[in-house]
Amino acid sequence: MDIFEALHQAVREQYEEGELPKWLADPVLEVAANRERYQGKEYLIELLTAQLREYDAYAEAGCCKWAYDHEDIKRTLRWLDEQ
Amino acid sequence: MAIYLDCNATTPLEPAVLSLVNRFMEREYGNAASPIHDFGTFAQMAVEHARGQIATLVAARRDEVIFTSGATEANNLALLGLTQHGLATGRRHLISTPIEHKAVLEPLAAMQQQGFDLELVPVDAGGRLEPERLAAALRPDTLLVSTMQVNNETGVSQPLAELSALLAGHDALWHVDAAQGFGKQIEPLKDQRIDLVSISGHKIYGPKGIGALIARKRKGAFPPLQPLMYGGGQEQGLRPGTLAVPLIAGLGEAAKLAQRDHATRAERCRAFRQRLLATLEPLGPQVNGDQHWVLPHTVNLSLPGIASDRAIAGLKGLIAVSSTSACTSHTRTPSHVLAAMGLDRQRIETSIRLSWCHLTPEPDWDTILTTLQDLRDH
Repeated sequence: MDIFEALHQAVREQYEEGELPKWLADPVLEVAANRERYQGKEYLIELLTAQLREYDAYAEAGCCKWAYDHEDIKRTLRWLDEQ
Repeated sequence: MAIYLDCNATTPLEPAVLSLVNRFMEREYGNAASPIHDFGTFAQMAVEHARGQIATLVAARRDEVIFTSGATEANNLALLGLTQHGLATGRRHLISTPIEHKAVLEPLAAMQQQGFDLELVPVDAGGRLEPERLAAALRPDTLLVSTMQVNNETGVSQPLAELSALLAGHDALWHVDAAQGFGKQIEPLKDQRIDLVSISGHKIYGPKGIGALIARKRKGAFPPLQPLMYGGGQEQGLRPGTLAVPLIAGLGEAAKLAQRDHATRAERCRAFRQRLLATLEPLGPQVNGDQHWVLPHTVNLSLPGIASDRAIAGLKGLIAVSSTSACTSHTRTPSHVLAAMGLDRQRIETSIRLSWCHLTPEPDWDTILTTLQDLRDH
């Protein structure tokens, strides 16, 4: 499984079995489906995949933030387009 | 240029690691503790990503990875960091083995100076600790057991699974110095009985100056460590200071590659080992350490009739090797590891350690053999 397939799998799992909202899943699926556009950005793709695997809608709740929330994922998506 | 066969001292950088380190050195230079703009946020995300890559390799949680400057600092934190807890609770018994690296033996000796009772359990002639003997040394006041995963001089892996089973019924903390095994022998470090694991970046094709202590929670609580330094509260309050983001990202990448390429790396090392041993066979080498348990990238052997310093000097233009660990080879002190295995002085004084990796090019084996034959005959 390459990194784009891993990203696709992570987003599907969090969308279908977790609490990842559709408005966030859609742009990630678009990244996973556009490998030519994101060639050379493997590090950010891996970062995004890791964030999806540890996505928690309530990551900011409580004393310590040890999960990733929608703000983290939105930011990484932005970096993917900017960098 | 000589071929580098001293990979247990340090390894070359993986090209992908170097590329990532450069990226964070040149462009992404934010401070991970200042996530108030994109520079800092990206640095923070890179650190957390690396933490996850390392945690995966040892079946830990991200928050259990404490970055340090290397395995030596991680060992010091794991051992000296328990001093206060031991003194406060009256648990002053420590168990380890005589084949540990100085980065473990010296902090333990420092704890001894503070009133701890240190017991070094002998190893067998093959360089392995004997789990039953170690377990027999356990006492109700045993605070800590510290063992290594793989010996740096012999490459012999230690029986962590057996020891884990024997420690299951005791609440002593268990520290494993995994400087030589992390990323090379993956499964043993996933054992949840191990409380503390020290790892190093530059032994797994990552940068020098970075390592980590894995401090595994037990029933939701961290091991009762106290910091050795103060000033910032980073790393769960255990290791203050601005995080070395480029090195941390490099260590994370190295950990990822160690997992992904584990089988192919090991296979290349095994093939190299066969050629090396076949080359040296005419010299009648005495291989040190139980070869059944040795990792494929190391061989420690004694060459009868050739003192190790002569062998190292004679081979200098062909291959770069050492006689003991990198941290003691400059002192010309005979190997404390081989001595603990009960080897005689002559065998120790003719021993050399050769260690390689998947990036090692093929040396000129024929010239190596003739050079050593000349040394032996003159």
